[in-house]
Amino acid sequence: MKLLSSLGSKARSYSSRLLYALGFFYEVLKETGRFFRKSQVGYWVLRNQILFTGYEALGITAIMAIAIGAAVNVIGSSIQQQFGQSQLMYSMLIIVITRELGPLLTAFVITARSGTAIATELGTMVVHHEIEAYMAVGLNPISYLVVPRVIGVTVSIVILTVYFNLFGLLGSYVVAQFLNPTPTPIIEYMGKLLSILTVTDVLSGIMKALVFGMVVSVVSTYQGFSVNRASTEIPVAGIRAVGQSFILIIVTDVVVTLMQYA
Amino acid sequence: MKFKIKYADQIVGLFIIVALAMLAVIVILVGVNQRWFAKDYSFWTVFSSANGVSPGTAIVMNGFTVGKIDKISLNDDNKVDVYFHIYDTYYHLVRRYSLLELTVSPIGLGSSLLFHPGTGDEPLPEGEFIATADSADGQAWIEQGLVLIPPKDDTITRLLAGVNPLLENVNKTVVTINRTLTEVNRALAGQSSGPAGTIVEDLSRGVAKIPRTMDRVDAIVADVQARTAGLLDQVSSLVLALQVVTKDVGTVTGNLALASDELADPTGLIPKLLDPKGSLKTLLDDDNALYKHIISIVEEIEAAVRSLQGIVTGLNGEMPKIAAVLNETRVAIQQAQDVLEGVKNNPLIRGGITESAEQGSLYGSMREGSFE
Repeated sequence: MKLLSSLGSKARSYSSRLLYALGFFYEVLKETGRFFRKSQVGYWVLRNQILFTGYEALGITAIMAIAIGAAVNVIGSSIQQQFGQSQLMYSMLIIVITRELGPLLTAFVITARSGTAIATELGTMVVHHEIEAYMAVGLNPISYLVVPRVIGVTVSIVILTVYFNLFGLLGSYVVAQFLNPTPTPIIEYMGKLLSILTVTDVLSGIMKALVFGMVVSVVSTYQGFSVNRASTEIPVAGIRAVGQSFILIIVTDVVVTLMQYA
Repeated sequence: MKFKIKYADQIVGLFIIVALAMLAVIVILVGVNQRWFAKDYSFWTVFSSANGVSPGTAIVMNGFTVGKIDKISLNDDNKVDVYFHIYDTYYHLVRRYSLLELTVSPIGLGSSLLFHPGTGDEPLPEGEFIATADSADGQAWIEQGLVLIPPKDDTITRLLAGVNPLLENVNKTVVTINRTLTEVNRALAGQSSGPAGTIVEDLSRGVAKIPRTMDRVDAIVADVQARTAGLLDQVSSLVLALQVVTKDVGTVTGNLALASDELADPTGLIPKLLDPKGSLKTLLDDDNALYKHIISIVEEIEAAVRSLQGIVTGLNGEMPKIAAVLNETRVAIQQAQDVLEGVKNNPLIRGGITESAEQGSLYGSMREGSFE
């Protein structure tokens, strides 16, 4: 009996939190739609969010993209050359960089860098009753605090994914030329790459980045607002934001990939 | 104020604009590379199978991609309609008698769709039908040299190109044999009205008459056998008799030959017999003295033979007695042997015979002695 009541209590708690999260997500979407229609001070928050989340993460993203692209380039060209299928290296590079690892690794980097920061910042604001202050002066905390962060993180991930593709496909070529005993001319490399690369590949990566950006930003802001009153809850919120973001990123990656290939 | 904060708007703007510009450049480059803005000329053809033919398959000429397949569909004749386009760069090559050829790698490295330009004067208008190399038109055009087909550059393809006509010939032969067999089968089944059918019909009528003919032949053969049986026996006996006669004639002939040899010999029998001083003449010319002497000898021999016959007859009468005497002698000898064995074995008179010194031979060779 006690077990049943415990189970029921947990189920009610989970469903309550899920409904709250869905309601939060709906509210964020609604306020996002209004964000660009109203001239708000939220633009300033958005600009800063893109600056800190996107621009400041450009360095690490570029390094990752070049390293992974060069590795795929060198490994692919050496292995597939043995089978007389060196042409497949370009397909492999596009699939790995543009379709899969580009948006995925960018989302992971942003989650680790900015997801925790957002959750911690909002949690601190809750603990310091700043949210109540915003509400007291008539500012909707979702439209002023959450929406700029959601848009900023999403735009940053999309833009960083584009940079990841550029560095992964082109920057890796430069590195691979130093490692490759028989360098490929840039014209030949670009010609073959562009003959295989399709707009669908590019749009697929951007679509994933868009979804991942929404996931990371919504989860992080939600976890930030889930802090009640104690400052010890703030790091817990940060950890939860990262953990849940990672899981949801992987799940949505699988779902989006299946939708693309279905 | 920090530079980043002071110029945040510019940095963020640049950050986004550069990314979007690069994205636009990539999309434009992809579009240019994939001929989004170029004019393509559409044509269509028919293949017997969709194997190796799919939307997006490149159409290649001398190693250059000159077009791509847009769409394929199965038509009412169970053939595959293939709609494709040729790039404007290569449109001038699409002339009358142009062909498409689907080549499949013999070692499983996929297939390629080759375009062979025709020798016509004007380019074909867009939307026209282009034949395939394995179609009847295509084969005829290739044989007439109306299509510009480059030589195959790999050994296997060249070998296959040589093998293909052979296979086609074999195929045609097999088809012809099949048709012939079908015609024969139909003729045998009585369904053909052609010359083969007439022949087979006549043949079957003839075969139907054979049993009756065979019965008649059997009767004739039996009659002939009966008539010839006695004749053969007589002939056999005559042959046997003739063999004996022939053997005798052979012997006679041999004797005659021997006699002829003897007679032909100038130092032989005849001159000796005819010689008046010869022994025969002398022996015969004695007033029967020799004859009489021979007669007397013969008479003496006859008497001696009669005497010997009497002796033998007497001896025959005495033979049982002689046999009995011999038998008794044998028994006596056996008894004497027993007595001697008993004397020998008697311990009382053992060692009873005195030893006697042997006298050596007085004659001896010089070499038998020693030199001691």
